[in-house]
Amino acid sequence: MNTMIETDSPEVFADEMEKLQDALPKKIEANPENAEKGLAKLVLTLIELIRKLMEKQAMRRVEAGSLTDEEIERVGETLMKLENKMKELKEIFGLKDEELNLNLGPLGDLL
Amino acid sequence: MTMKVYAYGVIDSNEKIDEAMKGLNDAPLFNIPYRDIGIVVSDLNTQIQKEDKKSVLKHEEVVEKLMDTFTVLPMRFLTLFSGKEQVLLMMKNYYDDFIENLDRLREKIEFGVKTIWPGDLIRERITTAHRKSDNLPLVASSSGKSFMNEKFENYKIDKEFEEEADRCIAIVDGFFNRFVAEKRLEKLKTDNLLLSASYLVDKEKRDDFKKAFEELRGSGGDLKYLLSGPWPPYNFIVLTKPNAKKFGSLDMVDSVFQRKDRT
Repeated sequence: MNTMIETDSPEVFADEMEKLQDALPKKIEANPENAEKGLAKLVLTLIELIRKLMEKQAMRRVEAGSLTDEEIERVGETLMKLENKMKELKEIFGLKDEELNLNLGPLGDLL
Repeated sequence: MTMKVYAYGVIDSNEKIDEAMKGLNDAPLFNIPYRDIGIVVSDLNTQIQKEDKKSVLKHEEVVEKLMDTFTVLPMRFLTLFSGKEQVLLMMKNYYDDFIENLDRLREKIEFGVKTIWPGDLIRERITTAHRKSDNLPLVASSSGKSFMNEKFENYKIDKEFEEEADRCIAIVDGFFNRFVAEKRLEKLKTDNLLLSASYLVDKEKRDDFKKAFEELRGSGGDLKYLLSGPWPPYNFIVLTKPNAKKFGSLDMVDSVFQRKDRT
């Protein structure tokens, strides 16, 4: 079939693809030595997903003007506390932001 | 390792294939017929590592060679069955899916197009413009509102960034639209990787597609492009049967077909 790759910038694409590979953990690493961290990573990834969805929904509502001043204040406080709590938990388990993601194969990335 | 059956792809023929063709470890290839289709396999009695580039290339070479003669549903690298019976069981279970895919993908090939844009710079430009306009929606009289202001500004920046990406993708995609039967577009897998696209193209439109890529590449601007292919149609196989394990085995179909990501 004569499969070919054509580009003027092979290095740029190689770098970007490498970045992409590095960014995506293929699986949750859980073994006897780091079972706690593996589990924390999975749980925090899911919490992070929910937190981001909540945040996005809140932004949409601010944009649409459908929140009262009081509601904005309450939502803001809640989201802020959630974010701070997540920071604390990430520190406790030694996890970085980019680690809180999952590659779902054909479905793409979770976050 | 006990003898296993290594599979390369399902083809639209139940007849013998060219005996000179060799597979992994130079093992002879043969076609296991099932009704009016077949699956091309070779015997394998050694362990093969996922990272073994030579074997990956051999797998691809076999699939591409098969494509010269047949319509092929390529299997993913390292698809192993414990025996011929398991192969036939899989063929029986997926027969309808295979027929549908073989019909849909007949005389078709896949091309990959990747586009890199200066995402970092674009985001920076949008961010600077936002900071200048300082058009915050809320009067920040409390910590909750300040937090919301900051988040809302980031939300607007992200949104604008994505809209800009959509505009650019529409332009890039517009070059190929006329020549494709199906497409899968993935946006912003990283801030700089604007588009990662797979296009299903009729074999007879192969040159038109490549010409369109040359036109795109010559169109100027600061975007960078990469074309790869033609590939077997890895990204366009659709299976309706969701669970291979339902029918027994196996160390096999640890998802028989899988989308790939190539450069």
